Formats: sequence, C-alpha cells, structure tokens
Amino acid sequence: MIRRLWTCSALVLLAAAAECRPARAADEVRYETHVRPILKAHCFLCHGEEDEHQGNLDLRWVKGMLAGGDSGPVVSPGDPDASLIWQRITAGEMPPGDKKLSNAEAAVIRTWIEQGAGTVRPEPDRLPEGPHWTEEERNYWAFQPVKRPPLPVVRDEGLAANPIDRFILAELEENGSGFSPPAPAETLIRRLSFDLLGLPPSPESVERFCCDPSPAAWSLLVDRLLASPEYGERWARHWLDPAGYADSDGYTEDDPRRPWAFRYRDYVIRSLNADKPFDQFVVEQLAGDELLSPPYAHLDGPSAEILAATGFLRTAPDGTGEGGVDQATARNDVVAETIKIVSTAFLGLTVGCAQCHDHRYDPISQEDYYRLRALFEPALDPNNWKKPAARLVSLWSQQEEEQAAQVDAEIREIEGRRVAELDGIVAEIFEREVAALDLELQGAARFAKATPEADRTPEQQQLLKEYPSLNVDRGSAYLYEQQRLKDFNKKYEDQNAQTKARRPPEQMLACLFETPGQIPPTAVFYRGNPSQPKQEVSPGELGILAGQVAEIPSDDPALPTSGRRLAFARSLTSGRHPLLARVIVNRVWMHHFGKGLVASPGDFGKLGQPPTHPELLDYLADEFVHSGWSLKSLHRLILTSHCWRQSSLRSEERETADPDNRMLGRMNVRRLEAEAIRDAMLDVSGTRCGKMYGPAVGVAPDEVGQIVVGAGMRDGNGIFIGTADGMGGEPFRRSVYVEVRRSMPLGVLEPFDVAATTPNCELRTTSTSPVQSLLLMNGSFVRSQAASLARRAASEAGDDLEGQVERAWRLAFGSRPSEAETAAGAAYVQSQKARYEASTAEKKEHDPTPAERALASYCQALLSSNRFLYVD
Amino acid sequence: LGQGFGLGSLAVLSLLAEEQARAKPPLERPAYDLRPKPPVHPPKARAMISLFMQGGPSHVDLFDPKPELTRRHMTTFTGDIKYDNAAESSPKLFGSPWKFAPRGQCGMELSELLPGLAEVADDVTLIRSMHTGVNNHGQSLYAMNSGRITNGRPAVGSWLTYGLGTESQDLPAYVVLTDPGGLPVTGTEMFSNGWLPSIFQGTVVRPREPRILNLEPPPVEAGAPQDEYLEFLGQLNREHASERPGETDLAARIASFELAARMQTAAKEALDLSSESQAVHRMYGLDDEATREYGSRCLIARRLVERGVRYVQVFTQTQAWDHHGAIAKALPSACRKTDRPAAALVRDLKSLGLLQSTLVHWGGEMGRLPVIQNEKNIGRDHNTYGFSMWLAGGGVKGGCVYGKTDELGHKAVEDVVNHYDYHATLLHLFGLDPATLTFARPGGAGSLLDGQAGRVVNGILA
Repeated sequence: MIRRLWTCSALVLLAAAAECRPARAADEVRYETHVRPILKAHCFLCHGEEDEHQGNLDLRWVKGMLAGGDSGPVVSPGDPDASLIWQRITAGEMPPGDKKLSNAEAAVIRTWIEQGAGTVRPEPDRLPEGPHWTEEERNYWAFQPVKRPPLPVVRDEGLAANPIDRFILAELEENGSGFSPPAPAETLIRRLSFDLLGLPPSPESVERFCCDPSPAAWSLLVDRLLASPEYGERWARHWLDPAGYADSDGYTEDDPRRPWAFRYRDYVIRSLNADKPFDQFVVEQLAGDELLSPPYAHLDGPSAEILAATGFLRTAPDGTGEGGVDQATARNDVVAETIKIVSTAFLGLTVGCAQCHDHRYDPISQEDYYRLRALFEPALDPNNWKKPAARLVSLWSQQEEEQAAQVDAEIREIEGRRVAELDGIVAEIFEREVAALDLELQGAARFAKATPEADRTPEQQQLLKEYPSLNVDRGSAYLYEQQRLKDFNKKYEDQNAQTKARRPPEQMLACLFETPGQIPPTAVFYRGNPSQPKQEVSPGELGILAGQVAEIPSDDPALPTSGRRLAFARSLTSGRHPLLARVIVNRVWMHHFGKGLVASPGDFGKLGQPPTHPELLDYLADEFVHSGWSLKSLHRLILTSHCWRQSSLRSEERETADPDNRMLGRMNVRRLEAEAIRDAMLDVSGTRCGKMYGPAVGVAPDEVGQIVVGAGMRDGNGIFIGTADGMGGEPFRRSVYVEVRRSMPLGVLEPFDVAATTPNCELRTTSTSPVQSLLLMNGSFVRSQAASLARRAASEAGDDLEGQVERAWRLAFGSRPSEAETAAGAAYVQSQKARYEASTAEKKEHDPTPAERALASYCQALLSSNRFLYVD
Repeated sequence: LGQGFGLGSLAVLSLLAEEQARAKPPLERPAYDLRPKPPVHPPKARAMISLFMQGGPSHVDLFDPKPELTRRHMTTFTGDIKYDNAAESSPKLFGSPWKFAPRGQCGMELSELLPGLAEVADDVTLIRSMHTGVNNHGQSLYAMNSGRITNGRPAVGSWLTYGLGTESQDLPAYVVLTDPGGLPVTGTEMFSNGWLPSIFQGTVVRPREPRILNLEPPPVEAGAPQDEYLEFLGQLNREHASERPGETDLAARIASFELAARMQTAAKEALDLSSESQAVHRMYGLDDEATREYGSRCLIARRLVERGVRYVQVFTQTQAWDHHGAIAKALPSACRKTDRPAAALVRDLKSLGLLQSTLVHWGGEMGRLPVIQNEKNIGRDHNTYGFSMWLAGGGVKGGCVYGKTDELGHKAVEDVVNHYDYHATLLHLFGLDPATLTFARPGGAGSLLDGQAGRVVNGILA
C-alpha cells in the first residue's frame, strides 16, 4: 500500500520535473548528499549515535550497513528487495513510532540501493570516535569563512551608487531587468524616518527635504536622523526582539515583575545611539562582568553600564524565584532558554534540538550543545543557583548604604513597639470576650489560651472551639474593634512612612556574574535529562567551526572568574567567526528591507532559508567588521544605496519574473510594527512624551480585562476604579518604555504582532485581522489620539476648515493632500458634523462640540487608513 | 513491484527536493484562530452557559435539606470546623428557616426560595457533593473557574474555545455578561486566557453602552456617523490601493474592515432583545423590576448560544451570595433576582431544541456553614468542603440528584465531586480529552486539570 502511494505521487512529480528541468549528468543519487541526511534524521540516534547500537547495527556509514547487525547485512547492493533496510522500511517497521520516512525519502533509499549503494568517496577503515561530519556538512555555506567577493561589473554604472547596488543590479541585469526608478522625495523621507526612528517625519522636515536640490541632501538627512536619540529607541526594540527582553519573569502564572530589567533596555538604547562598536556591544552583553572585577559594589557609571549589559543573559523566562516550581526543571529551563537566545541572536542557529540528541539536520552534536552550555554554567550553575533576588547589585554609594542601614534599624525599632502595643490590644479584647463567659469557665479559658497550641489538652481545645470568638490574635483583632485597629494601624503606618522617606531610593542593577572559584563540571545529559548526566565536557564552540574559532579555557588564570564567556565573546568578535557578522548584517538588512537576505534570521542551518544574495551577505559582513563594527556605517551604506531608494511600485513585467521580489528590483511595501503604530499616533497627535530611559511604564488589566497603560487600581472588592491617574506624561511615552509583562501584552500593541517573549522573537509576523480593524474603529486609545490630532490641527491651522483638514493630513502622512483630497475631507467633516448635531446620544457637559467631533472623526480615518499604517 | 517502480534518479531527487522545501518549518510562529475544530470524540454539548453565583449560595437553605440540622437547631456544634471570621463566629447550629419539598416527577427536594427551579427540576442534575477545600473566595473561584487555586491560569471558557473554536466567526467565541454591581472578587481573572493566546480571552459584554468595547462604537458614533466614517475610510483606502496595484495586503486590510463591520452588526443584532416575543420577555422576567436586569442577560446568553457562541458566563454582582449576615433578607433577595430567569433559560433552550446540546451551569465557588455567623444578625460563614450546584442539558441527566454531604451539610461525604472532577466531566461532555487538551508551557504541557486526577462523573451523564 505504502509503495503504491509513493509510486503514484512519484510518477506525477516525475512528469512535472521532466518538464521544468533538463536532465543533468550530476543527478545520480549520492550517498553523501542524499542518503546520509535521511538516515541521519531518522536512524542515527538508535543505530550509531548513542553508545549502545540497537541490534548492534551502525547505520552511520555504508560499511556499517554492509557489515550489518544481529540480523545480518542490511543492504544488498543492486537489490533493494533483498535488502533488510528496505524490507523494514516498506513493512512500516522502521523507523519505529509515528514518524516514518516520506515517500520521496524511501524512493531515494531504494534508488541508491538499486544503483549499487556506493559512496562518492571511499570510507575510512573505521569510524572516528564521537561525532564526525562529512565533507558536505563541513562545506555548508554558513560555516565557511566570510570571503570578501570582488565587486560585480554592471552594465548601468550610473545606477551603482555603492557596492550594494552592484550585487543587486548584476543579478537583475542578468535576468534582463534593472532597478525600479527612485521613489519620490516625500516617500523617501517618510520611509527613512520610520526606518531609523520609528516615527513619521514632521510636515516641515518633509517640506525642507523636498525643496532641497542639493545632491548631498540625502546623506545629510541620513546623518541627521542617525544622530537623533529616537534612533536608539527604535533600533533597541529591534535588538530586544532576539534578546527576548521582558520586564517580568514569565514561566509561572504569577509572572513576577523584574523592576530593574530596564537598565539593560537603557544600555541597549545608549549603546546604539553612541554607535558603540558592535564587537564591544557583544562582548559586554556576554561577559560584561568578566571585564570588571568582583565584588560589584560602589560601581562608577561606566562600570555599572558594562555590568548592565549582562542583562542580556537574564532575559529568559525564569520560574526559579517562585514557590511551587520544580527547581531542577526550572533551572535547567533557564539555562536552555538562555542558550537558545544566545544561539539564535548571535549564531543564527537552532542548537536547542541538540540538547537531547545530535541535531537531525545540521552538523551540531549533542556534545557541542553541552560545550556551549559549559560556557554559561559557571554563572548559571544549577547547583549554586542565584535566584532573581540574588542577581541584583546595588548601585548605592557607601554613604547611601550607611544611611539606609540606619533607617532600617529605626524601622525595626518601630515594628517592635507596634507588636508590643498590638499584643496589649489583643489581650484586652480577649479579656472582654472572657468576661462574657460564665464565671466558672473564665479561668479555664484564660489557661487554655495561655497554653501553647501544641500543648493544649483535648478539653482546652474543645473549650476554644465551643467559644470561637476567644481565638483573637494579631491578625483578627481588627474584626473585633475595627475603628481602634484602623487608628492604630494608621499611627504606625505614618511613623513608618516618615522614617522610610529618609531612606535613599533603591537603585539596583539586575545582571549576571560568576562566583569566583565556583566552576561546576558540565556533563552531557542522556537524552537531555538533567538527572542522567553522562561524560563531562569542556567549554567550547561548535565542533564544525574548529579552526575558525578560538579554544576556550576552562579557567582563565588571569581572571578572578572562569573567563569562559569572555573568551567565547572574543572569539565571536575576532572578525574570523563565520556566523556572527553574517547574522548581524542580515538582521540589519531585514529591518531596512522587510526581509533578510537570509529570510530566516534565527536559523542559518539547513532548515532555514538559503541566502538570496550570498555574495552580498559576505560583502556586508566583511565591510561591517572592517568598518570597526559600526552599525551606523552599515546603515549609511544601505540607506545611500540606490537599491534602498527604489520605488515600491510593482510593475507587470517584474511581477511575472520575480513575484516575491527576491531579486529586489523594487522596494517592499511594509506595514508598521506594533510599536511604530502606537508611537506614530502619539507623535502626530502631539501627545508623545519624549522622556527617555528609566523604569518601565506599568500596564494592568482594565475593567473588561484589556491590558492598558496604567496602574490598574482596584478597590477592596477587586473592582477596577481607574488606570492612569497621577501618571503624568508616562502613559504617552514611546512603546519601548512600556512594561513588557510576559502575561500581559499591551492591548493596543498585541493585535499588531508584538514580539513573542517565549523566550525571544527571531522574526515578527505581519498579520491582518478584524481585531486590528475593531481596535482602530472603536478603541479608546485610537479615538483619544484622533481627538488630540484634531485639536492640534485646529490650533495650528486656525479656523479655516480646509486648512485644518490639510494640516491634519500633513501631520499624519507628511505629504500635502491634493485639492480633491482636501475637498473630500472637508465635505466629510461637514457631513459628520451634521450627523453629530442630529445625534440623540446622551450628551455630557464637557463633551466636544459636533464640529470638534467631526474633525476628530476625520483624523481617526487618517490614523486608521492604510496610508498611515503602511510605508512605501 | 520493485521493478515496476523504475523511476530514474532525477525524478527521485526532485521529489525529495520538493518535499524538503515543503517540510521546512514556517518562518512565522503559529497563528491561533477561532475556526471550529473537531473534538476528539463525539460531543454531547456544543455550547455552555455558566450562571456564576459568586459569593457562595447557601446550599443548606436552597438545595440540600438537612432534617438533622433542623432537629439540632441552636445547639452547640462540637465537631471540627473552619471559620473565616473568628470574631463573629458561633458554634451554634442553625436549621434552615425555609421549607423544602419534593419537586417535579423526580421528587428532587428543593427550598421554597427556588420556585422557578422547582418547575424545571426534571431537566436538572443537582450535585450536592461539590468540594474545593480552600476556604476563601479567591482561591475557590480560581479552582472552580480555572482548575487550580492559583491565579493566572486560563479560564474554562478559554480552554473550550482553544479546543473547539467557535461556530460563528462574526461573534466573539467566549462572552462574559457582567453584572452592573461589579465583577466577581477575582475581577478579570474570571475570564482571563491566562497563558493561552489572548484570542481565547473572554469578551465582556458590559451592562451599559457600548456593550462590547472595541466591538461596538461608543453611543455617539453608533449608526450613521460610523457608517460614514467606514465609507470615508474605505474611499481613502481604495484610492491609496489603486495607486499601488498588486499590493494585496492593502486589499486584505480593506476587507478586514468590512468583516469588522459585519461583526458589529452581528453583535448588535444578538444583543437586541426587541425581536423576542412578549411571552419570552415575560418568561425571563423582563416584566418585573426584580428580574429584568438579570433576565435580560439570561436571554442574551440564549441568543448568543443560538448564534454559535461557544461559551457564555453570566455573573452576579460582587459577592452577591456571600451572606455572612442578614441571610434572612439577603438570600431571598438574591434568589428573587436569579431563580425565575435561570429556570426560564432552561425551559426556553428546551423548547428551542437547544438544551440537549447546551450545558447550563448554575453555581458558585462555595456553600455555607451549618452554624451561625454573627448571632446579632444571623448569617453563615464560608464552606468549601461541601456545597451544591446544578447542571442542565448538554448531555447530563434530568431529574438527578448526585452526591451527599454529612447529616449537617458540612462536608461532602458521598460521591464527592472536586473541581477537577467537574472539569474532567465538562471537557468530556464537549468531546475533549482532559489529558490531550494541552498547551506548551515552560515547565511542560499546561492543561485545565494540570495533573490532578479528575474523574468523569459518570453518574450524571445522560
């Protein structure tokens, strides 16, 4: 049955394949290229990888198949039907379990046996110990050294503004095509402004730029925007995605806050604004602590900044500070998620599957995984675990510390007095309750109460049960004398508050550091199970990169700490590492074009996507390293290319030849990310608060459970009574400053595909859903921003309706509306005004007038329109 | 057969290459949706309405007659008992001041405070042996509503919509009808999606306009102004799109506004009771001040279920049933508000042929103690060791009484139904398997029962 199925589908495909591709000589089925990867994915684990080979059969090489196992040889060259491996596959017996070979995979195996079961290269006499990689695996593109390619020659030299253009244009020309014309100036400045700042350009800057004929205008504009502080806020958010940044622990339902995580976020913003060389940025995030010396006390500003960088290694969801969590599992999860974050962000590889067995597709062995793990275990040591509270370093000065200690002593003293007085009240209440008893019980009651609970006789217990009101204690006294206890509590709360006011405010830093001298051994876990450690491993990078990366010392004698992460970071940033620079320039490219040269930014392995322009990727990686790892230089290079400045308009020819725009013969139209939508609304409405840095702006559920910016105040019955009271400009700060509570994504961001935090986000989706539409139509945030925009337009444009309409349009879109657009807008406002005037809905005193409402309605249409939500 | 295969290398390899391209993991993370999904075994129930009685209705005064308690009225209870409020606590037993009598063909004994329920007793399964074992509102609400006594977990309705999607794409899958008197004490946790994706969160239909935030426009925009806005927006978007031919995302967004507008119309229609007959209005008590508000919400619940909504919660006000004192007045008043509409809902669903596929639940997070709290103003304290609730339709028996408390109504002693047993039964009725309805969590697969050994209560299945 199985065979009939694959025969049919294979024939269909045969026909299809024959049509679209001419036969080539090289299309024979090869063991190394075709057969081995199938066996690796399905069979190696039991038949070769683990110490014990099932059925004494080793399928990792052809000689192993010919030698066979307990049931004899498994391959008869030339005769698949006589081959045991084929028989077991067709019988559905192998591989065991649900995941069988696909029809195509089975067909490959069969054809290979039919053709004689040969290898391209002779196999050695014996397999080397441990994992070994084939030449094909070693030759995989992503593991090759970055090689600066020669610049391609293009026919249209005039269009090659810089080297990027040559790579793109050469391919386009080869396909009989070329660049699209440049986009109009007003499109370009809007594109650039969102690209670099995540905010729209002001109408005035659009005007200025469009009227500036100077050839240098563009590069001056690029430089000006790169120098604005908003650049760091925008691009920090891009980096926080793969870093998995959050202001809470996640993991458990409680999802405790991380009140000090913001220092890492601020570190990223500052570093990007300063154009800190990316190699330094990487080293600080992976090993900032190892650049300093423990103990980390009384740090100066620059040192605190470097230590804050290690917040990168503290972003993973973390349940280890919570009760009711299996500590061993939770700790292991933190280590595993941290490795995932590091590997997707810096290596562009999914090493996670090698936690349990060799990677099924990429040359990453299980041992490799644990070698990576050994890099982090001196700081993330499951047996000497630092729970969240133990990761905080105080930024207090010596004097502040002393002052705090003194206040703490006073508070302890006040607490002592409070408890003594409370015990007096409890005794008084008890006496009164006793007095209400029959006289003969009173003595017994006093005696029972005075006896410690564990020592009470059954009679005493019974007595207290029969008269439950005798069981007054510190906690229940308020139930007996509410006003008195209220006054009592207030008195002490006031005293406490006054005393505490003299305590210097807490200034903590959440970071990662090792305990000197504490270097745990790291072992491979049998099938990933932490309770089944096997052989120990030494720290190191992936074996496949040997020769391109540095050896990692187990314990660097020159440092108080192990030095493992520092050595790893230095190796990553040596300029010779094949992955880091490629991965980073690809991310940067992705944010400029909407799609990476490698479309899977977190997976450069076989299951990811191959690069569309491998030579360009290498050129950029090499250029990045040689420009001193300057992100701003890289931006400049990309943004001043002709390629980036192309129009996004599609043309019929291009659509036919390259419907996915793989060759980049035009710019991609992109929807704004969630944060850019919210920030742009705040910006054009004039409500945006420009305050930078500092603790996150809190979020909370409102009365219907939507997550809003605000404190989310509730009364004693849990009833919602307000959100943002007393928060000043905080609710109007940019989204990068809004708390990322893992369990509470902000209601206005979440529907627009906000970054996943489980644990990090390699790539955002861009969805279109009616939930987004409803938010734009009816959501209170959008409506209030529209009202603000209307007020702003009215105040800036004066009384003339057409002027107001035009001003609102320009604020929202940057460009000027056409006369027809202005006229249509004004007509809309007029007719809406008439509708509001006729409305029978209940009116309140401070409601806007119908005219104000009508202009706001127009502004809302602008803010919810595609012209606002998309960038050409 | 092997020889008949005869494919060349080229075909085999191109087949392999195509397959490998297809097998690559999608670049984007999985998207969750609310499209209907088949259950794992044939379901009895397709929709559920939970009439949630927050505060803890006194089972010994409503559902669970205790002659022994009446006999020992005002005598001292000497057994083990846990009070929530020690200051007002009393050891005196207090027999129910209300009379019980057998109702319906089945002879289910119910209190005189529930004349409405009495009329539909033959359609109801009454469970008298509920147990959560945590003596405060918050924890017991979490247990009954999201499976464990801790907060932050997905509500039952989130699980059902996660597992089954919903029948109507124009209405929210999971609707919450809140009381004008405020939310249950655990607030929005009562309909939180917890760690399930947020599309499985309950959507609140508020007791005032706009009834559904975001789904409905504010009153001043409703009708003509919003229609005009959508028309103008559509015009802006169409012009914008016409300058960008082939940009299909833009067309998709135009369509999504149209779908959103349809959803608004559907919601408005579903919430509009004017098309229901006078007889129906009367049946739900819309003609009576005491029942109008609650009856309207019960009727809305029926209309929503009728239109394909999967799960509806109808709340009573904050602590509506938390009768620590003045129970003599407060309990009859709470019953007056809810009894007739709740019974009407059962009867109405039955007459529409919807009861067999709609599970109706009536109950809270606890019951009350057989002893007095506050001798000066008699009430009863919390009791989560034994309490009652009822179910109707959706595959449960009619006229069935299940489980027992002890002779005083203090603790469930026979056929005890823990919250996780209730949840196992509920998922079973919907054709879901408590063991396989899971969601990946950091510590392993998360589920409603979360490893608690819940049993399907076969004794109540029809």
